Amino acid sequence: MAPPPVDVRVTRDDDGIIRVAAGGAGPDFTLAVLDVAGAVLTWPVLGDPGPPTAEIHDVGRAQQWLWAVYGERVAAAVHACATGEPAGTRVPVDPTTLAADAARLGLGHWAARWWPASHLDGIPALQPDVLGLELAALTHQCQQLFEESVGALDDFADFGDQPDDCAAELIEDHRAALAPLIQWWRAASTDTAHQLERVLRLIDDAADGAGLDGPELRRLRSVLDRPGPAATAPLDPATLFARSDGYALAAGELLVSGGRLIARGSGTNDWRRYPPGLVDASETAVSWTARALGARRQFEVDVVAHSAAPATGAPLAAEVRVNDGPRKRVALSRRDDMWTGRTDLDLPPGETRPRVELSVLLPGFDPGPGPETGAERDAIRALVRRRLAAAAQPVANDAPPHGSSSAPFLAEIAATTDEDY
Amino acid sequence: MPLPSQPTDARRPRAMVIDGSWRALGPGLEPLSGPGGAPLTRTVKLILLPLVVRPTLHPELAADFLAPERAAQLDALIRESGARLLATAQWFTLLKRTRRALGVVAGNPQDLYFQRCFELAAEHGAPAAGAGAFARAVVENVADADGGRTVDALKRHLADDSRHAGIERELALAWKSRRPATTSGTAAVVARAAEVLEACGGPGGPLDSPEYGVMVEAGDGDLLGRALWANPGTDAAGVWGRSDVPVHLGLTERQLPPRPQVGRGASTATLPAPLDRTLFERLFVVLQSSARREELPTVPELVRSEVGRSCAPLGLYDESLRVAVVLGGRLAVGLDPLGTGDSAPGRTSAHRAVNNRWRREASVLRARRMTVSPRPDPDGGVLDALAQDLRAPWAAYMRRLWVRLHGRDVRDAPLTDAAAAWAVLDGVARSVMMDHRARVRSALRALSVPPVGPAAVPEAAESRSA
Repeated sequence: MAPPPVDVRVTRDDDGIIRVAAGGAGPDFTLAVLDVAGAVLTWPVLGDPGPPTAEIHDVGRAQQWLWAVYGERVAAAVHACATGEPAGTRVPVDPTTLAADAARLGLGHWAARWWPASHLDGIPALQPDVLGLELAALTHQCQQLFEESVGALDDFADFGDQPDDCAAELIEDHRAALAPLIQWWRAASTDTAHQLERVLRLIDDAADGAGLDGPELRRLRSVLDRPGPAATAPLDPATLFARSDGYALAAGELLVSGGRLIARGSGTNDWRRYPPGLVDASETAVSWTARALGARRQFEVDVVAHSAAPATGAPLAAEVRVNDGPRKRVALSRRDDMWTGRTDLDLPPGETRPRVELSVLLPGFDPGPGPETGAERDAIRALVRRRLAAAAQPVANDAPPHGSSSAPFLAEIAATTDEDY
Repeated sequence: MPLPSQPTDARRPRAMVIDGSWRALGPGLEPLSGPGGAPLTRTVKLILLPLVVRPTLHPELAADFLAPERAAQLDALIRESGARLLATAQWFTLLKRTRRALGVVAGNPQDLYFQRCFELAAEHGAPAAGAGAFARAVVENVADADGGRTVDALKRHLADDSRHAGIERELALAWKSRRPATTSGTAAVVARAAEVLEACGGPGGPLDSPEYGVMVEAGDGDLLGRALWANPGTDAAGVWGRSDVPVHLGLTERQLPPRPQVGRGASTATLPAPLDRTLFERLFVVLQSSARREELPTVPELVRSEVGRSCAPLGLYDESLRVAVVLGGRLAVGLDPLGTGDSAPGRTSAHRAVNNRWRREASVLRARRMTVSPRPDPDGGVLDALAQDLRAPWAAYMRRLWVRLHGRDVRDAPLTDAAAAWAVLDGVARSVMMDHRARVRSALRALSVPPVGPAAVPEAAESRSA
């Protein structure tokens, strides 16, 4: 079904930045972003699927793809705007396959950053190599959006300025998952097999064009040339990919530390304050307990770890504020599946209902407390639950084979077969 | 791709016209096309524009939008080249296969072979009997095209002890004949730089600034460079209008730039400040980061000219490039990546443009979950160090700028006008931003993968050494 026609608004600011505005904004973790030639594209992941918003800093480079993402009329409006015609016009968008592919790529990058994996909430993590390889394929699919500056005299920068033009890098980083993906392809049901084959062929094509080589890629090429018969036994993809987790979750079992319980409660789990892959994304993952040990008042923090969090290396901390007092930082250390820490508190002897604000953060990363965004976090959880439910269903026959950003990613399909959830 | 109906007299995006003509050529172009059938961006950039459309011969086609008759002209040019493009695609497939067979892995095959394939197609048509030999010759030829302009060759050249000692003597001599200057007059030079910057950063792109030519004529860059040799104690406020920065803006770690040594090795992870680098380190950066190394002077020539260059003001020969250092310095002292809005010497339109870009970048980094705390955090480790770099962005900016200007100097490529200078200054600002991104990324990766060896965050995502 074709999406309804939409307009965008083309404006220009004092810096000469041209904005093609499509939708509203939201908190950082609800935005998919993609750096493309001459512009940054953003999509609100919670909204209806639609064209991206573009902030164009280099109109000449952006003109290589604007027409192919928004249609000719928007490209012309940007051109007019850049050459000084009155800005602020509304222009109709022509839906294109490149726009849909780009939205899917943006969403995939978003998932790699903000997917709210949680054992407590029953939201499985996405296998990073499977997601990474599909992103490599999608990046290649969207090659029109990227244009490395080639051989320019000024190319003494050792980085291109297009961090998302990274198909080759993604293939290199996640090549370990190529063999399991091939195995999955040979054993998967028809629809998933089609998606797997498309991804594998795109990876092969991207690797060939970029001159990548290696045993995994050679094997991929020979299998694509001569696939042989499909495996007859069904295969559970969750068993194919190495998992770094596997702990027995002990959440809810309070660590016995003696003393008399005064109060307990949960804190805020603001995803913006720590990087991905460290903390279980549930609202209930951050909790505290206040105890009396004689005259001492001890405060314990428990944070459930992300299933793939490394056992060492990330110096997470909690920030505690009691009864509007000063903010106090508590270092956390890893114990089994939890990050824990404790500190002494100044509580009046009779205090049994302290007002506690608690959050978890990574020092040096933490941008500081932001506005309350619990409702948006819930909306994100609802979104990924819908996606996972869809991923667990066989693909509907009338679904577009590609170019639909809502179609499940391979990593989502693999995650739904994970029996731990 | 379905095209919307348009009035026939409308101008159309050139990229769209190219796409349509390309698809109309029919099958056989897959090796030069993306998955959706559009030409690869490199096909457009390396073959279609420079070799088929040739906007230098057809200036009327050098525009983003084309009127119908121009679009028809461009379409005709691509169609006329149809057979040759098909042959180019076949040559490219053959070259890729040959490259794999020869075990060549360096470089991107599209960058390396696209233009050669187009030439082969003109000369031989489609690959026929004997094509394999041509293909081998091209792959081997391209692999050797650097003509020995490699870090290894540099290493061998400087390994000779007597040569090493000779260069050491020349450096000592050249260093002794420098003419340091006082900083009196630098304030006026920096004020002129502000005028140029004011003309640069506006929304309409760079305006022509005659002051730039005046600066080059007057030797303003020469003056700053010679002042750096003489005045360790000078208050930077008198030069840059800020007292909390060193006069040299981090171009050296010392009070005065030291005499360059010859050196025998280098590593991107541990390169010192630009003016503290050895001759080896300066040339190492040129040799390992340059595209089109075949256009560089040979290694012995590089070494010979670097002796004089490294003892020249700011380590650069060309005055327009030295003036770019002055402009860059004036820009750098007003950079504010974290948006703290601290008072800085009169910000120009160039400052507004760059600082606003940083502000936009900050929101992109939040959405990418790649933040650093805006305020110092003693527990912040590597990330706090990266944030610290953003609080003193002039150092990273000047380092990057100097490397780029040095690369131009080595290639004898001056900056002929203010617009060219601004393109470099602006590009460096963007590179500094991307460096920051890459470093945050590798710091975060080190967190999620517990370190095996020393947990150093390299200066570049991929560090090299020799």
